[in-house]
Amino acid sequence: MEELIEILEDINPEVDYGACENLVDDGILTSFELVLLVTQINDSFGVSIPPTWIVPENFNSAAAMFRMIRRLEEGE
Amino acid sequence: MFLVSYEFPAFLMALLVLYYLIPGRFQWMLLLAASCVFYAQGGVFYLIYPMVTTMTTWLLAVAMGNMTDRSRAWVRENNPGREEKKEHNRQVKRRQRRLMTLGLLLNFGILAVLKYFHFFLDNVNALLGFMGAEGEFVCGNWILPLGISYYTFQSMGYLMDVYYRKYDPERNPARFALFVSFFPQLVAGPISRYDQMRDQLYTSRRFSARSVRYGAVRMLWGYFKKLVIADRLGPAVVMIISSPEIYDGVYVLWGMIGYTVWMYADFAGGMDIVLGAAQMFGIRLPENFERPFFSKSLGQFWRRWHMSLMLWLREYIFYPASTSRFSAKTAKLAAKFLGRKAGGKIPVYIATMTVWLTAGIWHGASWNFVVWGLANGTVLLISQELTGWYRKFGEFCPFSRTRWYEVFQILRTCILFAWLEMFEYYPFRTVFAMSKSLFTSLGTPRTGDGRFEALGLMGADLGILAAGIVFMAAVSALQRRESVRDRLERRPVLVQYGVVFGLFLLVLVTGVYGHGYDVSQFIYNQF
Amino acid sequence: MKSRKLLWLGILLPVSAAILGACQNLLVPKYMGRVIEGAFIREYYEETEPHDVIFLGDCEAYENVSPIVLWREYGITSFIRGSAQQLIPQSYYLLEDTLTYETPAVVVLSVSAMQQYEQDNETYNRMTLDGMRWSASKVNAIRESMTEDEHMIEYVFPILRFHSRWRELEEDDFTYFLERREVTHSGYYMRADIRPAGEFPAERRRSTYAFDDRAWAYLDKIRLLCREKGITLILMKAPSLYPAWHEQWDQQIRDYAKEHQLLYVNCIDRSEDIGIDFTVDTYDGGLHMNVYGAEKTARYLGKILAELPAAKDRREADGGGPVNRVWEEKCRFYDQMKAAQEAEFEELGYLRQFAEEPAD
Repeated sequence: MEELIEILEDINPEVDYGACENLVDDGILTSFELVLLVTQINDSFGVSIPPTWIVPENFNSAAAMFRMIRRLEEGE
Repeated sequence: MFLVSYEFPAFLMALLVLYYLIPGRFQWMLLLAASCVFYAQGGVFYLIYPMVTTMTTWLLAVAMGNMTDRSRAWVRENNPGREEKKEHNRQVKRRQRRLMTLGLLLNFGILAVLKYFHFFLDNVNALLGFMGAEGEFVCGNWILPLGISYYTFQSMGYLMDVYYRKYDPERNPARFALFVSFFPQLVAGPISRYDQMRDQLYTSRRFSARSVRYGAVRMLWGYFKKLVIADRLGPAVVMIISSPEIYDGVYVLWGMIGYTVWMYADFAGGMDIVLGAAQMFGIRLPENFERPFFSKSLGQFWRRWHMSLMLWLREYIFYPASTSRFSAKTAKLAAKFLGRKAGGKIPVYIATMTVWLTAGIWHGASWNFVVWGLANGTVLLISQELTGWYRKFGEFCPFSRTRWYEVFQILRTCILFAWLEMFEYYPFRTVFAMSKSLFTSLGTPRTGDGRFEALGLMGADLGILAAGIVFMAAVSALQRRESVRDRLERRPVLVQYGVVFGLFLLVLVTGVYGHGYDVSQFIYNQF
Repeated sequence: MKSRKLLWLGILLPVSAAILGACQNLLVPKYMGRVIEGAFIREYYEETEPHDVIFLGDCEAYENVSPIVLWREYGITSFIRGSAQQLIPQSYYLLEDTLTYETPAVVVLSVSAMQQYEQDNETYNRMTLDGMRWSASKVNAIRESMTEDEHMIEYVFPILRFHSRWRELEEDDFTYFLERREVTHSGYYMRADIRPAGEFPAERRRSTYAFDDRAWAYLDKIRLLCREKGITLILMKAPSLYPAWHEQWDQQIRDYAKEHQLLYVNCIDRSEDIGIDFTVDTYDGGLHMNVYGAEKTARYLGKILAELPAAKDRREADGGGPVNRVWEEKCRFYDQMKAAQEAEFEELGYLRQFAEEPAD
């Protein structure tokens, strides 16, 4: 999880990732940043996020992202 | 049939009456019939094109759906182990991808040939000429089937959605045909997603006076933007941008502003008509505009202008491209030279430019549009890189937190967008020449030398135009907190009547239509 | 709640219609200023007494014969249902329209419109058709003569055609908002100014002189309708020097007249008999007669008409009744306008009302 927060802070340091639950819906993370995020997550965690998973449900909060990563690691 | 014509409102009214009289389960069939009639007005022959796209897409999607069903059944029956399941899935996906690719190649191929063949030929000829060859290839012109860019993109989006298993394919070809050809959105968008439309198109819609009322008022508002503002502004703008040698200096600024306002009034007006019409049938189409001129950055602007296209590009090109294996490989390669972080950006940048190249090409078969697309992409990437700097600036400078700074940001964005639009209508070098002339010859007289008079916007017309633009902007500003129609609903009946009837009279009397006027159809219709 | 909504609807709908009607009345051209040709057709419906002779046709019909002279010297009642660039099919439907109000003894058709079946400028269509009262004849006339860019709905709601006049509204638009004033004399367009005939450019040769088949079809329809109603049809060519009335055309009309035993009066050929002097009898250099030429032509035609049994001298027969009264009034109006125009022409050398607007 910490690794994830690190990546996130690198992209946009102004956000409180512990609290915020609307990263995508409120446009705090642009699509560009989302994709950067995806490539870095893929790289760091060794997963491969399919493009259809880039949806608000999976990226609106750090917690949601973490859950998504877990699911990928378990091999959906 | 054009949206701006005497026939369309008549067609719509007749259709509405029928629609709410027949039993709910037949409503979608009526819409399908109406859409065919609507499209056939442009020539029955042209129906072939959307039919081919509809049939092929439907067939391929159903085939993919069947494969998915069989695969799921197999898994249920045989309960395979993890590795076996993965291998099985991979094979199914591979076969499905072949089907999808077939559909994409065929339908985008049709679009490419019909729309870009002459452009391609021109370039081949130019290349041959450059190499010293004599003579050139010629090919007769043809008319583009109406709305081909829109319905092709919409169907291909559906095909890709089915491949990605976002939803099950539509098994009924007639119902699918309605999704492809639904007449309000057929001609100029918005590009919809099947899962957005499915719950509305095929269910029975009960009559709601409110929907009809709201839809009608929205349509009226669209006609206002189109007939009072866009069609009045258009000829003058065209005059300015077609003769940069004559219209330099301060006219470059008028051209910039005029072109942008014209594009907006025409396109957004068209969208109001389309969405208003759909609303009268109880169907919500996705919005294409969300007060774009109040954006604070170019990036934000493009999330509020022609939203359905941008979303499509993001969903079907940007995300898949930047998360593909090719991207991952590129990232690794780039990381060797630039480090991990910068390296990771490279594929995203490539994907961005690809998106903008596509956006440019989508708008028109000429290098102007390609350059325009790439220019936008470049500016966006630059501003992305500068985000870090902006943040630091924000920390140090208290001004950046004031309202005035927001105003500055908005103005900056509008000017930037308007400046980039120049790439659409000026040849590449002229853009810079004209920009320079804007500053050097700013003091040229606005009237008296005949240039302004030649634009044909004098006296009362200029007044109406200016007032109309202010009115449009004011309504847009009001929409920030609450929809203007909702606000209107709360006022007494007489006020509502006054506003709506007054608007109707304004469009009827001052609208640019009928005799003596060129009925310039929506600019985005040619796509 | 529902009844309240219905009440609002019941009030607002007629109010809206009234406002729209008022806007339309304001915006349609009044044809009371320099160009008055658009006001002609509707004046027919103001007539209260029947007419023995009806004229049909374009400017050659309404500028070259004076109905007042026909009355004064022969007691013949007439009306000219003429309009600018009236097409043959329009003449037919105007005849049909007229026949729903009365059955004249004679119809005089100006044949110059045979040379051009299709309308080239929709402004003329509006000037002819807008004045007609709504009837099947009007609908058919519109359908037959509409140009490609016109729509029937623009005739039903003229505001759709004339809305752009909002920026050109003049005093006349307010003055004549509800009612128009009379501008013709039983359909005659008076000009008392003089411009002698001059030189005309040579007409280029045409590839064909045959009249359009559709023009023949409508000429036949006019003839048959007249025959059905027992009306004597007379074909007329007005005495105008330009545009040239080619011999080939004249031949075709002569042949047609002979074939169907119709009288054909070619006033150009008979201009000597009529006594036309092209130095004083025309106001536009020979294209059209002025009032002096029109009176001469009327005198000549009157002699021909008086010999027809059906065209009666109504002065005696009416014996001081409504016909005499109506025509007395017409004569008075005629004399008044003629005197005024003559005086103005004497003083200024031109007529103010019809003078071209000075270039800015």
